Amino acid sequence: MNNTPRILNRILIGILGLKMLVIGLLLVLLATVPAVGSWWQHWSAGVWSGMSRLFQRTGIPGRDESWLWAVMALLLVLVIAAMVAWVAQQGKGRSSLLVAEDDAGDFPGSVRIGGGVAEQALRAALAERPDLAGATVATYEIRGEPALKIRLQPRHGVAPHLLAADVSALVEALDAVVGQRTPVLIHISAGARSRFSREERVR
Amino acid sequence: MNNATDVRSKGSHAAGDSSGAPGPDPRGAGMRRILDRETRSSRAGVSGIAAILVVVLCGYGLLESAVRAIGQPPWLIDPETAAERIIALPQGMSPLLLGLIGAVTAMVGLFFFLNAVLPGRRARHLLSDPRAGVVVDDEVIASALARRARVAANVIQEQVMVVVSQRQVTVNVRPTSGVPVSENAVLAAVLEELREMDPVPMPEVRVNVATAGVIGA
Repeated sequence: MNNTPRILNRILIGILGLKMLVIGLLLVLLATVPAVGSWWQHWSAGVWSGMSRLFQRTGIPGRDESWLWAVMALLLVLVIAAMVAWVAQQGKGRSSLLVAEDDAGDFPGSVRIGGGVAEQALRAALAERPDLAGATVATYEIRGEPALKIRLQPRHGVAPHLLAADVSALVEALDAVVGQRTPVLIHISAGARSRFSREERVR
Repeated sequence: MNNATDVRSKGSHAAGDSSGAPGPDPRGAGMRRILDRETRSSRAGVSGIAAILVVVLCGYGLLESAVRAIGQPPWLIDPETAAERIIALPQGMSPLLLGLIGAVTAMVGLFFFLNAVLPGRRARHLLSDPRAGVVVDDEVIASALARRARVAANVIQEQVMVVVSQRQVTVNVRPTSGVPVSENAVLAAVLEELREMDPVPMPEVRVNVATAGVIGA
């Protein structure tokens, strides 16, 4: 429901995973196969000599150290900043407006209805139900459009389709009040535990 | 554990996608996408772990290269010494330790890679509704079916166990000793409940009535 960048997540995790896999396999091969060891020493020594020549050529005038170290530090700072920005993208998408548009009337201005209207109306309507252990309503912004997520936690044995039909009727009543059909997702959940397993056992 | 079950459900994953409505969705244009996203894991947690790992590694590299750039002595190891040690690798380190480090790194890499590649379906089914998109956790479906099966079999709650997975519902009933349980009655009740519920994808139902009964239930 939120705007977590899923494809980016998978690409970045995949790149990291592949790199670690290759490094790990190389280490295992180095430890077990002698031929790989001699190839590695030959190859990496060549790479390192090229790099150290580069470091010697790029010395800061008047000093011993290469300015490449500073460049490397800067690059690492950029990578760290990118990682922080990536983490900050997870789970984004909550918004506070249910409706924000021009009412096309004679007066200039626009109509805005806060998400709290829908959230509190639905929560109040759902609070009286004895078959619910909990209900939360949240407003999200999906591709610029507002959307509602209703999360219901029914008690054991409640038929989910009947519950969904009831809540769907409540949503239609809300449509009539707000005057706009907002996309609505009803998630009938069993609590946090269900996130961690594929199969669910209920006695 | 999650990854192993991902592989098993791969076949049903493709079949579930093809059931999309062809015309415009009355529930809103983005509903199809929202439902697709709700039934798959976002990999947010694994992404966080990966980012922290990269930040820690880069942070150490940053420290050493910054220390080097301003001409101070290194904190843990001089980059040049480290490079020489890495070049000489099979020597200077016990092969057991080296292989172990390699194996652990490869395992962590495999974990990340599988998380990136596998579909990562969540234990959820979709219900049809004219107004809203409805996602139901499998545990809720199992709980509703268990209640129906319990009534049909005339046993108490502890004697029925229902397992719901993407394509299959297994109902295990342990009858009360001396009171026979009709497998067909339980099957019919569970099937009727499922037909009313109409989850997507529709699972198959299997009922197991245990041969050993429960005493005193």
